[in-house]
Amino acid sequence: MNLPIRAIGIATTLLWVFLIAFFASAVYSLKDLRFDIGEPHLSVSDGEAFVYIPICVDNKGSYNLSAFNLSTSVKDANGSTLSESSTFLPVIKSGEKTEFLHNLTFNLEDLLSNGEYYLFNDADLLVTASIGVKIAEAIPVRASTNFSLPWGAPFYNFELGEPSIENFNLTHINLIVPLGFENHSFFDVQGEIKVRMYDVSGALIGEGETTVNVPQHSFYTGHVSFCIEAEKMPSNGFFEVYFTTAPIIYGPMVVPYG
Amino acid sequence: MAKEMGGSRNIVFAKKIALRALKAFLKGFLLYIAYFVFWMFIAPIAEFVPSFQQVVENFFIIYVSLVIIGELVSDTVLQHFFNAAKALFVIGYLIISLNGGILNFAYSNVVLTVDLRFFLMAAVLIGLIGLAKCVIQAIEYMNNKAEIGFKA
Repeated sequence: MNLPIRAIGIATTLLWVFLIAFFASAVYSLKDLRFDIGEPHLSVSDGEAFVYIPICVDNKGSYNLSAFNLSTSVKDANGSTLSESSTFLPVIKSGEKTEFLHNLTFNLEDLLSNGEYYLFNDADLLVTASIGVKIAEAIPVRASTNFSLPWGAPFYNFELGEPSIENFNLTHINLIVPLGFENHSFFDVQGEIKVRMYDVSGALIGEGETTVNVPQHSFYTGHVSFCIEAEKMPSNGFFEVYFTTAPIIYGPMVVPYG
Repeated sequence: MAKEMGGSRNIVFAKKIALRALKAFLKGFLLYIAYFVFWMFIAPIAEFVPSFQQVVENFFIIYVSLVIIGELVSDTVLQHFFNAAKALFVIGYLIISLNGGILNFAYSNVVLTVDLRFFLMAAVLIGLIGLAKCVIQAIEYMNNKAEIGFKA
C-alpha cells in the first residue's frame, strides 16, 4: 500500500510544480508584452468615413498569445450604434511583432441624414473598446474601457443673415442672403449650398446657390444672391437650404424670415 | 533499572521530537524559498492588484503552518487530519480567493477580467488527488494500528 501512496504523492507534487511553474512563467512573460496604439488616420470617400487605428503588439514573452480580439463600438448620446468593428488575430507567436490596422467605418450619409443634430451641433460619441487575448493560449484576459469621442459638426452655428436688397433693374432686385458656419468636423466641406426663398403661402420666389470649400476646423462666411421680381418680394416667409457637399447631402433645412 | 529504562525512553522521545522539529523546520524553510522564487515571477501582478500580495502571503503562512504542525505530529493519526486539512484548505482558499475563477479589476475606467477557471479547475483536481491520498494514508494508518493490536 505504501508504494502506490508514494506514487500518488510524487505525481501530485509534480503536477503542482508543473501547474505553478506554468502559471508563474505565463504571468512573468507578460512583462515582455508591448502594446502600442498609433495615431489614427482618417479618410472620407463615397459618403463613408474611415478611421484606421494602427496597432502594434510586440510579444517578447515566452508564450504565444492566441485569440487576440479587439472590438470597438461607437454609440451616439441616445445609445444608437453608429459603428461596430472587430479585429481578430488567431495567434501572435512568441518573439513576434505584429502590426495591424483596426478599421472603423462610419456611414456619414446615414449618420447625418438620420440625425440633423450632428450636422449643426457638436456632440460626444460614446466609444466602447475591448481587447481579449488568451495568455499562453490558456488564460483568457479581457480589458474593456469606454470613453467619449468629440464629434465636430460640419455646419456648426449655421445661420442665414438678414437679406439685403440691391436694385438690379426696374423690375427685378438682387437679393443677397449672407450665410456663415464653422466646420468643426474632421473632413473638408466642399460643394454647393442652395437657398430657395418662399413667401408665406409657400410659393417659390427665387433661388440661388453658392460654392463652398471649407477646410476642417475653419470658418466660412459668404452669401447667396439671386434675382427676384421686385413686386414679389415678400415681407415674410421662409428659406429652404439644401446642402450638396461632399460627403454630405442634406436638405431642406427650413429657416423662417420676416 | 526502571529509572534507567524510563530515562533512555525519554532520550529516544526527545530525539524523535528534535528530528521532527528539524524536518518541520527544513520543510518550512524550503517552502519559504519556493514562495520567494514564486513571488519573483508573479510580482508584476501585484503592481496591478493591490491585495494580491496579501492573498498569497496569507496562503503561504497558513499552508506552511499546517505543514509544520503536520510534521510535528507525524506518526500519529493527527498527521492525517492536518494533511487532509491542508488539502481542503488549498482547494477552499483557491476557490474563494480566485472568486470562482473569474477575477475583475478596475483601474480608472478600464475593467480587466481574468478568466482563471482552467487554472482553478486543474488546481482543484490536483488538490482532490492530494485529499484522496490523505484519506488512503489515514485508512492505511488505522489498518496498521488494528493489525498491531490483533498481533499483540
